[in-house]
Amino acid sequence: MSTEQSKSVGSAISIKGVVKEFTRGGQTLRVLNSLDLEVPEGSFEALMGPSGSGKSTLLNLIAGLDKPTSGEITVAGARLDKMSDAEITSWRAANVGIVFQSYNLLPVLTALENVELPLLLHKMTAAERKKRAQIALDIVGLSDRVGHYPRMLSGGQEQRVAIARAIVNDPKVIIGDEPTGDLDRNSADEILKLFEQLNRELGKTIIMVTHDPEAAERATVIRRLNKGVLA
Amino acid sequence: MNLPGLAVRNIYRNPVRLALTVAGVAVALLTFVTLRTAVMSWDEAKNYTLKDRLVTRHKITFVMDLPKNYADDVRDLKGADGKPLIRASTYLNWFGGKDPAHENDFFATIAADHNTFLTVYDEIKIPDDQLKAFNETRNGAVVGDLLAAKFNWKVGDNITLESPIFGARENGEPWAFKIVGLYTTTSKAVDRQTFYFRWDYMNDGVRAEAKDRVGWIASRSVDAAHAAEVTAAIDKRFDDADTQTLTQDEASFFQGFMGMVSSVLAIMSYLSYIILAILGLILANAISMSVRERTNEYASMKAIGFHAKTLASLILTESTLIALAGAIPGVILSYLIVDVALGDFLEYNLANFFPVFRVKIWTYAEAVAAATVIGLFAGIVPALTVARLNVVENLRRVA
Repeated sequence: MSTEQSKSVGSAISIKGVVKEFTRGGQTLRVLNSLDLEVPEGSFEALMGPSGSGKSTLLNLIAGLDKPTSGEITVAGARLDKMSDAEITSWRAANVGIVFQSYNLLPVLTALENVELPLLLHKMTAAERKKRAQIALDIVGLSDRVGHYPRMLSGGQEQRVAIARAIVNDPKVIIGDEPTGDLDRNSADEILKLFEQLNRELGKTIIMVTHDPEAAERATVIRRLNKGVLA
Repeated sequence: MNLPGLAVRNIYRNPVRLALTVAGVAVALLTFVTLRTAVMSWDEAKNYTLKDRLVTRHKITFVMDLPKNYADDVRDLKGADGKPLIRASTYLNWFGGKDPAHENDFFATIAADHNTFLTVYDEIKIPDDQLKAFNETRNGAVVGDLLAAKFNWKVGDNITLESPIFGARENGEPWAFKIVGLYTTTSKAVDRQTFYFRWDYMNDGVRAEAKDRVGWIASRSVDAAHAAEVTAAIDKRFDDADTQTLTQDEASFFQGFMGMVSSVLAIMSYLSYIILAILGLILANAISMSVRERTNEYASMKAIGFHAKTLASLILTESTLIALAGAIPGVILSYLIVDVALGDFLEYNLANFFPVFRVKIWTYAEAVAAATVIGLFAGIVPALTVARLNVVENLRRVA
């Protein structure tokens, strides 16, 4: 496994001179320091680094959940640093799938309904929503759990539902924030296999924050962040 | 699955809290409907009074009496054109009688001039033979059919009453009456629970200084449209006399007589709106708690791509649905408790105050509309909180 390798022509993510500062108790803390990053389309990258290194902050900027203090961020062809909050929200609904460490499924919805949730943001019939959600669940291998509520699923199954929810809109970029952090080794392996499959077979660009070296090894590129700078 | 469907699922998430909130809303609406109905019923009582029926009393207070000859003067009053202003008049006294056998049961006892009484209160109906007996029996009494049923009185019964106002009869004998008739009414202007007896029998028995005095004079103006001018004319007639009068139409007299209750009802009216404010607080608290517990879910929905206004709408829908979920049992409870049980009881026992104690359809509509609007308002603060939610902070991830 090599680091900093690219496997396709265009950039799915392009970050130039990004600075991110937070002000806490009157003190300004620089978390990302003039960071540059190019993530080619179709790559599967892991982002590692010690706690407080800025990796989740970077991930939030890529997902459009936060804005940089300065610098340019282009993801899936859109300049996020120039968009309003509402524009970014709409953009995110169409272009990014996010997988959280703690799954964040809605407990009152079944697996199928949780996967359908992002499709409510798009104009389509209920039948079409259901069909697409079933396909997404089939991709993650949970077609037999459509009517199960999150409480009826294992952690690994919940995370697979979360991945189905992340891909149901057919996003260009999938972002994983410690997606295997709450899982045992076997479940984590299954999730990582799923990421490899989505990357290899569907050409999804995946960027994943992880503390787990074994998880990172499954990515095609490993980047290391330390004190707001990519090593 | 759709967003309103998600709002409904969220409502059922905590069944105990939902049940308590719905019960709180239902009880608040029941209280609101009860208070509104009491206030409206009181107003309704005025609607049954007659415009042309005038009541003349002592100018200072209802408690002070008038010379009996005032009744003749009122009856003979003529306008500037020499035409009569009054077509009928009678005089009455509040007796304040109590039946020792029913010490704790209040009922009105009124001494009325048997010759003229029914010309002014023509909605009172007494069978001819019983009316004949009333005219022929000096200590005769006619009793409302509801009062008679309540005390199991029948025509022919002899009743002894005590009067804290007049004491015992001048000759030391008790106030003994013979029930000679039972009356009904054709209008709710007169209740069916009053004990009427002959004024001359009362006049016979009172002490010398109270003789030939009347509590009030009731009259009917020739022209209802000019009743206001007639009331002024009556009072003007006695302007220069030792005892001045105050004449009012029946509705005003009724309100003045029940002035204390009127104040209580005004307070009840304010209370009904305070109840709605409490309802708002109950809902706001329940919605805020629910939303606070689900902050992470709203943050992840925002991360997925849901706009702030969509999430705000979701919460407003939820709070409005909870309010409506409480409004439905509230209306059903109001119907059963206020309209059926309380209505029957009050109309039977307090007909003077509440001739018709029924919930109006408008009051139900007002209650449901109020619950809806309050539900919407109760959701505003939580909705704004979620709309302004910082996704990054609320996903609680530390880099």
